[in-house]
Amino acid sequence: MVNLRDEELQRIAQQLGRDPSVVELHAFDAAWSEHCSYKSSRRFLKNLPIGGSRVLLGPGEDAGILHLGTHDGERYAVVVAHESHNHPSQVVPFEGAATGIGGIVRDVLCMGAEVVAVADPLRFGRCDDVASHQSHVARAAVDGIGAYGNAIGVPNIAGDVYFEHGFDENCLVNVVALGIVNEKDVIHSYVPKGAEGWQIVLVGKATDPSGFGGASFSSLTLDARDAELNKGAVQVPDPFFKNVLMRASYRVFALLRERGIAAAFKDLGAGGIVGCSAEMTAHGGYGAQIELSTVNVAVEGMPPEVIAVGETQERMMWAAPPEFVPDLLRIYNEEFGLSEVAYNARAGVIGEVTAERRYVLRYREHVVMDVESEFLTGTINDELPYTEKIYHGASAQELPAVDIEGIFPRVLAHRDVCSREPLYRRYDSVVRGRTVLARGAADAGVLAPVPGSRLGVALAVAGNPRYGRIDPAYAAEQAVLEAMRRVVAVGAHPIGLTDCLNFGNPRKAEQYGEFVAAIEALARAATELDLPFVSGNVSLYNEAASGRAIPPSAIVACIGSIDDIAKVITPGFKAAGSALLWVGSRELVGGGSVLAELLGVKGTLPHIEYDAERAALAIVRDAIARGVMRSCRVVADGGMLTAVARLAFDALLAGRKIGAEIDFGNPLCETGGFVCEVTGDSGMDVTGTLQIGATIDASELVVNGTRFDVERLYETWSRPLAQLYP
Amino acid sequence: MRAVAIGLKIPDNTAFTAAVALRRLGIAVERVERSEIWFFEGEGNALIERVKADETIFNPNKHYVTVLDETFPRSGEVWIEPLEPRHPDPSTGSLEGRRATAWRLFGPNEATLARESLAAAVERLLCNPAVERAVYNKHGKLERDIPRASE
Amino acid sequence: MSARIAVPVFPGTNSEDETLRLLRDCGGNAELVHWSQASSLARYDAYVLPGGFAYEDRIRAGAIAAHDRMMDSVIEAAGNGKLVFGVCNGAQILLEAGLVPGTGSIRRPTAAFSRNAPAPHFVCRHVCLKLAIEPARCAITASLPRDAIVPAWAAHAEGRLAATPEHLREIVAGGHLAFVYADSSGAVDEAAIPNGSALGCAGLVNREGNVLAIMPHPERDAWNFNHLDRREGDDVLATSGGAALFRSFVQALMS
Repeated sequence: MVNLRDEELQRIAQQLGRDPSVVELHAFDAAWSEHCSYKSSRRFLKNLPIGGSRVLLGPGEDAGILHLGTHDGERYAVVVAHESHNHPSQVVPFEGAATGIGGIVRDVLCMGAEVVAVADPLRFGRCDDVASHQSHVARAAVDGIGAYGNAIGVPNIAGDVYFEHGFDENCLVNVVALGIVNEKDVIHSYVPKGAEGWQIVLVGKATDPSGFGGASFSSLTLDARDAELNKGAVQVPDPFFKNVLMRASYRVFALLRERGIAAAFKDLGAGGIVGCSAEMTAHGGYGAQIELSTVNVAVEGMPPEVIAVGETQERMMWAAPPEFVPDLLRIYNEEFGLSEVAYNARAGVIGEVTAERRYVLRYREHVVMDVESEFLTGTINDELPYTEKIYHGASAQELPAVDIEGIFPRVLAHRDVCSREPLYRRYDSVVRGRTVLARGAADAGVLAPVPGSRLGVALAVAGNPRYGRIDPAYAAEQAVLEAMRRVVAVGAHPIGLTDCLNFGNPRKAEQYGEFVAAIEALARAATELDLPFVSGNVSLYNEAASGRAIPPSAIVACIGSIDDIAKVITPGFKAAGSALLWVGSRELVGGGSVLAELLGVKGTLPHIEYDAERAALAIVRDAIARGVMRSCRVVADGGMLTAVARLAFDALLAGRKIGAEIDFGNPLCETGGFVCEVTGDSGMDVTGTLQIGATIDASELVVNGTRFDVERLYETWSRPLAQLYP
Repeated sequence: MRAVAIGLKIPDNTAFTAAVALRRLGIAVERVERSEIWFFEGEGNALIERVKADETIFNPNKHYVTVLDETFPRSGEVWIEPLEPRHPDPSTGSLEGRRATAWRLFGPNEATLARESLAAAVERLLCNPAVERAVYNKHGKLERDIPRASE
Repeated sequence: MSARIAVPVFPGTNSEDETLRLLRDCGGNAELVHWSQASSLARYDAYVLPGGFAYEDRIRAGAIAAHDRMMDSVIEAAGNGKLVFGVCNGAQILLEAGLVPGTGSIRRPTAAFSRNAPAPHFVCRHVCLKLAIEPARCAITASLPRDAIVPAWAAHAEGRLAATPEHLREIVAGGHLAFVYADSSGAVDEAAIPNGSALGCAGLVNREGNVLAIMPHPERDAWNFNHLDRREGDDVLATSGGAALFRSFVQALMS
């Protein structure tokens, strides 16, 4: 079962001057798949800004790298990767989501980094009936993410979740991982100059038929149970093995540092052994010779194409100078005893790097693949037609006057606004003791990634599907803005972005047009805000059998740096008598808001004005730098009043009975910005801000004269998701 | 009431690790099979359909179902069941809590372990007698270990 | 030379770094001992078993690790009166090894840290431990004040003390209930218990008072930067909060 199209098959035969072998067919099938080749997205992705003074490594390897700061004379960088594991999570939610975490962690690990955090933007179907299929997917995926991340000991510090009918048949499980590395110890995904004769070492679980579906198994003798397994092509997570593999790899990194030896390290993802070894060598200007019969396998009798391109989890690949290889093997095989941790797992030499730029695979000494390396790994493009569409602008519809007393509790209990704690309580957010702001504590998660240092890193994600339904490009722009605001609100300086573009079928001009428009929008926002995209991923074909695509979902993560974690803004109102400032646009419209959904009106979308955005960011950062910012929250789902309420909730949870009295037009509009609690005599330049009220010495919110009890609002807000996640 | 065994058709990592651990304890185990035992009302295809419809315990891509002839372990098998009634998980749609984990231990030549070796594996590793008990098949009949008080 | 503390790392352990760092920041002479160096473990004076998922808690939490070669040394050391302290997975391993509550024999547990209830899920939640014994009853808690409150994070799926009524009575009567869950003011109530634990148990001590096992992690709330309620001017890198219990452990080795 090969998905290559006729013209692609012809191109292969023409280049080879013969018919491709079975192994070659499968190798090209994987290499030229959308997932590996980005063939229908590459020409647009190149418009994203990827450079800047902080960028050590942009997109192209397994993860991007950004300069974080200096400690004790050493320069530290954060490594970040962002991917989707949508389809596997829909089919087998626990395993699919777990292997999503497993894969993204390897992407960061292989850059020579210590993995320090993960995040999980999730989009599920509606789960109003907690016994429904959608609810099962939503629970099992979360449990898979937790089971994996918790066991390997990587804290989950950021993420979000939305529940929409548009995801009923296609959930989205996006994953982000962060690593920390001393800049001089970065390991690359491809071999450097002088790598001729280096050995190629496969390390990890035994290669098995998982992750390789289809007809090629007809030649295999399998019992009935294994035959069923092949149909499923389930990727099997093994976080226990990964825990050991990570720690063994850290030991290898230490030895490489100690000896000053260079090596290349790469995750096995799509395309398996071939995909990994071909890219690793070709991108360094070399070829490779691999003997497939040296690969450790889980079942005998697998045909060579399965060994070559199967996607068994928990495998990685080194290319290293021969004199280092005995130590490499000893660490994995003896010191960490991989074969005791998983069946037939080990590190073993499977081939070598060659000067001739050919990719040659042998199986039991017979050549089963022999192609020019560049032809296999080079760029291919699919210029598909797409439609451009103007999405909004015409239908200006004013919000009716609202009864705050009646509607605000409904907004707080709304599935997009209510507390996420029942969900993220299933994730370990504090393992390794470096957490400054745990998952859900604030708008972004914050870690102190370098023990003994005051350096901090902040991470937040965003991507509002209510905007996506209305306008994919607008949603993409807002995703950049919201992710960035979240990082700023905890006191960090935004330094870079990642994206995962989750869209429908690129072979349908309208769905492809949504994708194209979203990339242009991401590029616009990032350029305006002078932030680079350093890693990303594209997930297409998120389309149900009915042909209905998901709400276009550009999901963005923002990374922020913090020079001194003492300056991190902690959650909740701090004192009565503080001024409450609104920093952001005052355009009070309701498009895409929870309020508009509850009222059943459409509303117009707030305009995006980058001058105003930059000014708002400068004000917030100035207040933090002056030390007058007592607390801060971004305005997002549920509007400004929700942000105010959450500052009061956090104060309540900390035992501070502080509320607020505010006076503000329609405080449930979701026009983006910040609510800031600043000291009464802040001395800051308040131009561009609006004082909307003050904090009070009572656990109450008084909103345009209407009084709410904070504890009762907290009950309303904190409980709804406990039905789904008891 | 029928007992239903739900096993994995994807590799069972726990079974592998259990086998390694038992070998380290000096018990000659080559291979371990494990399944979850649930109890359901019903018969035949209707019963199987009912089990397969319960997403909280069954996913066709990773599980297989076997309806057992008896409501106690097969020959060479031990069930480890909780002493206390299991707290029902309000998030699942299943009608019955999980009742036991079934273990089959194989020695050389795919032969199931003799009763004494199986009992040693149970006593040393598979069962915490403070909260669980072991259920064996004794000559085609049910046999429950009486949980030990402190020794 | 001060007493040497071993932090054993089992396959699947994940909290070794913060455990080591906190012991050192509290003045302890601690080092990691990897499972491939199990034979060197006997040489140490005290042991802190860190959190994680040794053998991924396959079969039951702590069950396989309790039989690991490293535990032969730890069990022997405990028998000789050396201090042994287990946190979370470390606590589960000590219980499966029969060292706590220690009312049965070695590797024949008389209780379990069982699946959380009522919801049988992993829970990550900030909690407080309240010392439920006289401080001197356990060497490791001896430097804590009476009724000490120790902030910590619960982060486990199997932390609910479960045992037969008879064994629970033994735990109470024998003074094995070292810590219970409480709120930050010290009030003991149902809402403070994150996992349905019998007796509100958060920690167990053996009869001799040299082995302590606690489920929540004080070492994850042990530096000022970990606390949401830190004050302006606090040194963010200084130890505080949960560090008190680790300091008491190190103190016990110095006396």
